[in-house]
Amino acid sequence: MNLHAILSILVFSPLLGIAVLAFMPKNQEKSIKIVGFLATLPALLISLAAYAHYLAGKHLSDFSVSVEWIHFRGMNVEAPYFAVNYELALSGFQLLLVVLTAVVATLASIAARYVKKEWKGFFMLFLLLEVGMLGVFTAENLILFFIFFEVTLIPTFFLIGKWGYFEKEKAAYSFLIYNGLGSAVLLIVIMILFAKTGTTNINILKDILADPSAPVSGDLKLGLLIALLVAFGVKLPIFPLHSWMLRVHVQAPPPVVMIHSGILLKIGAYGLIRFGMGLFPEQFDTLATLIAVLGVINLLYGAFLAFIQTDFKMVLAYSSISHMGIVLIGLAAMNEAGVQGAIFQVISHGLISALLFFLVGVLYERTDTSLIGNLGGMAKGMPVAAGFLLAGAMASLGLPGMSGFVSEFMAFLGLFKEMPWLAAVGTIGIIMTAAYLLRAVLGMTFGKSHREFTGVVDLKGVEFVPVVVLMLLIVLIGVYPSVLSSPLQATLETIMPGLGG
Amino acid sequence: MENAWLIPLFPLISFLILLLFGKRLKEASAYVGILLTLASLIYSILVLFERFSEPTYVTKFDWLTIGDFHLTAGFEVNQLNALMLFIVSLVSFLVHTYSKGYMHGDERFHVFYAYLGLFTFAMLGLVISPNLLQTYIFWELVGVGSFLLIGFYFYKEEAKAAAKKAFIMTRIGDVGLFIGMALLFWQTKSFEYSDIFAAVDAGQVSGTMITLTAILIFIGAVGKSGQFPLHTWLPDAMEGPTPVSALIHAATMVAAGVYLVASLFPLFSASHTALMTVAVIGGFTAIFAASIGLVQTDIKRVLAYSTVSQLGYMMLALGSAGYVAGVFHLMTHAFFKALLFLAAGSVIHAVHTQDIEEMGGLWKKLKLTGPLFLIGTLAISGVPLLSGFFSKDEILAAAWEGGHPVLFVLALVAAFFTAFYMFRLFFMVFTGEARGNQKHVHESPSVMTFPMIILGVLAVVAGYVNTPWFGTFLGDWLVDGNEALAAHGHHEGPVWIMILATVVSLLGIYLAWLIYGKRSVSRNWLSGSGDMMHTVLLNKYYVDEFYQLTIVVITKGISYFLRFIDTFLVEGIVKGITGFVQGLGATGSKMQSGQVQTYGAVAFIGLALLAVIYALTGGYLR
Repeated sequence: MNLHAILSILVFSPLLGIAVLAFMPKNQEKSIKIVGFLATLPALLISLAAYAHYLAGKHLSDFSVSVEWIHFRGMNVEAPYFAVNYELALSGFQLLLVVLTAVVATLASIAARYVKKEWKGFFMLFLLLEVGMLGVFTAENLILFFIFFEVTLIPTFFLIGKWGYFEKEKAAYSFLIYNGLGSAVLLIVIMILFAKTGTTNINILKDILADPSAPVSGDLKLGLLIALLVAFGVKLPIFPLHSWMLRVHVQAPPPVVMIHSGILLKIGAYGLIRFGMGLFPEQFDTLATLIAVLGVINLLYGAFLAFIQTDFKMVLAYSSISHMGIVLIGLAAMNEAGVQGAIFQVISHGLISALLFFLVGVLYERTDTSLIGNLGGMAKGMPVAAGFLLAGAMASLGLPGMSGFVSEFMAFLGLFKEMPWLAAVGTIGIIMTAAYLLRAVLGMTFGKSHREFTGVVDLKGVEFVPVVVLMLLIVLIGVYPSVLSSPLQATLETIMPGLGG
Repeated sequence: MENAWLIPLFPLISFLILLLFGKRLKEASAYVGILLTLASLIYSILVLFERFSEPTYVTKFDWLTIGDFHLTAGFEVNQLNALMLFIVSLVSFLVHTYSKGYMHGDERFHVFYAYLGLFTFAMLGLVISPNLLQTYIFWELVGVGSFLLIGFYFYKEEAKAAAKKAFIMTRIGDVGLFIGMALLFWQTKSFEYSDIFAAVDAGQVSGTMITLTAILIFIGAVGKSGQFPLHTWLPDAMEGPTPVSALIHAATMVAAGVYLVASLFPLFSASHTALMTVAVIGGFTAIFAASIGLVQTDIKRVLAYSTVSQLGYMMLALGSAGYVAGVFHLMTHAFFKALLFLAAGSVIHAVHTQDIEEMGGLWKKLKLTGPLFLIGTLAISGVPLLSGFFSKDEILAAAWEGGHPVLFVLALVAAFFTAFYMFRLFFMVFTGEARGNQKHVHESPSVMTFPMIILGVLAVVAGYVNTPWFGTFLGDWLVDGNEALAAHGHHEGPVWIMILATVVSLLGIYLAWLIYGKRSVSRNWLSGSGDMMHTVLLNKYYVDEFYQLTIVVITKGISYFLRFIDTFLVEGIVKGITGFVQGLGATGSKMQSGQVQTYGAVAFIGLALLAVIYALTGGYLR
């Protein structure tokens, strides 16, 4: 069977939904929401089928596709063509991110039931955003990656700016400016590499750059890596480039925050791993201490600030900063345990933050607030939601048996081998994470209730779907981490030799 | 033994069933929980008997692959594990039964049983873990079980604070364990106990590293077992329902720290400093907590401080290289302390208060609870012929033989305190006039008294498995086939220790009787002799206040300082960037002046520049 078209179908399948939506009347709220939800399903099914394909022991390279797209030549006629092909492929790491994207997108489309206006426009942008995300994780060359990367920016900008809360415009603009600058830096890096080597295919680039006779000097590589660190550091985000994402987390509507903190932030981590570490392993090693320090700063900075927030959304926003610090810590370790931990953390945090932000949406929908002080004693009125909130917090603080533990454990284990002192400082973050999450969650659910929760209904109906699915995945990874680690082995083997042992 | 993994599985099933269907089952939930823990208990007994005749059984499978390392999961049944399985499943079964009466009428009855199942699962999983990582995993899970049950009355502010405190305090300890585990892994390349011991034995790990990792791991045990300075969560944990206090905060989870040190004993015994640390912390905690217990007036808090103190005793034993003594006391303590808590629960159930000032004269009204409480009190006080006497004697002997005369004296004084405050409690609750508002006081139903009777019998006879008179079966069996432990087996202490211990304990009881029973000595003798001392003890040496003023304030301080940075420094950068972009836009828009002359001039300059570049580079940009 010819599987080469599968990835293109996967990536562009949400467009079908956009086409259908285009012909629907604007005011049919219910059917628009159903179509929007259905449009995310093809991608979900295909990505799961791809995972099954892997489980069946077949090669992921079956999916690779490469079609000639653009090619041109400089003024010098003897010089080889500059070719940009349309190339998509899946490695184990990419497969996991694609599955994550598809799952979170589908669940977020369920969360879109809370959208109050202009459902048609919302879902069209939402589906376009999904195309962008799926493309980012499957693109095999930098130009294509960049295009998809930009495709994620524009819909997100409008989704925040139009459907967000009170300060939505401000949040949307600061999102656009920061990410715009980030992608400008990224574009410069891509263009320099393209001009120097004549290719943007990631695997070819990797071989070229590994060759000492390549036309790219060590200093230039270091410069490019630092530029990448900035470009993806905005996305991740790395302190002090984080303030835009706090606003986005607070102002964006629930389905968009689920996508944003669940997937979009992970593009930063993906870029750092695939391009930063993948293309410039030696330089990455040079910067390892710096990256570890940045990681510990992120971890502690986010944790301490999360400890004094009064809005639960802000707690989660700072918590995201803190958790992304663990990704950096794992990467900085530059050994199997650390890198695998970082990748686990990417997936795990995607699931956990999607879960928590969905629950925030559920609460906001019913109580019109996400302030911790206003929600005290909520467990009395909505015990099931409170229970899931507590379970989500437990996952987030790294309780064994859930995904957060496995990733945190491996990332720290890796760093303890290389930089034990720094790792020991970082473990303060483990304590602080427990402290701020329990403070926030117990503040909302336990204690005397400050308000009557009569008439407030508990989690019901279709709302169970995202919560239960995410919870099951979180527990599955925690109990049986091989679901992630076995597809990753091949990816790690290709990254690791580049690290020089 | 091949199927010993089923033992933790039963309570897990109970947890899942009750989580999903508990609401419909209502109080029938109790039967699910009771039957499934009974299955665990029966199986544990079978495994224990099997282990008497068969060697250690280990099995494992790959759990997670990291590069070349294959981390495994599995289970192991050695002597210590088999014994712990029995203790945990027995106490859990009894508490499950007891709770059916105690929790009757609570609207979250099924949730309570679900949590009990979760906790029992985690605790049983903990005691059969064959490696450090798996131990850590279940270690954290028992912490969650404890957290959920402390916070069971979630609408009470005290319960909320206590649950949070318990989780965070133990997590501080857990981080120590985590660091120790990670460092040890890179030293020995394995989490398996057997590999770690082999590496330590073969001298692959440097002496400093052994000491460092052992002490770090001990910090984990300090957190879990409520040792000084991480003890403050345990008394507060009494906010949980009383059966929980019996199961988790007396018999099983808090003993996990002792169990951890015991199961890593070959590591600890390789470092003199580490053992000394364990002994000193244990000895200090024993007397420290006992002295606080002297003045508390909440029946459960007295028992809680007593637990802290007794756990200190066990640590002291292990630190003095008394492996058998520590484990033996762990077992006897589990029985008599669970008994005391369940009896206390029965009292609370009857009089609806926890303040001993409002009790009194209950001996005649609670015809079963009274004598059972007395048995527990006699056992913990170390009165001869009961279980506590033998295990305490073993510990004192270990401390003496271990060459810690100071710690030996501390332990003796702590024993005196224990006898005193326990009998103070007994006399205040059961003798004298009825104080407070006691109406309709009646004995608890048989579903509650039955578990207490079983524990009462065990509190009397459990000591006879290891006595200097009839043989040290337990001690011999525990160290059988294990050379590393054989040297730390039963300590045959001199006879005078036994006599001295008895005298000290009887003195404590006599003094308590004089003050609280016969009332011939003023109750205020202590406060009279030193008002300061009494206040200090009543306020638990102000440790909580100290933490509040230091750690909490510092944490908040750092947070607010970082917020300052976040609002001024980082936002400053943001302003800079947005300002830059806006400025660029403003300049750009100014350029669009509409003046054709300017446009022409710019175009001409540009063209000229291009021409110059072309001339200089020869037409091709390299």
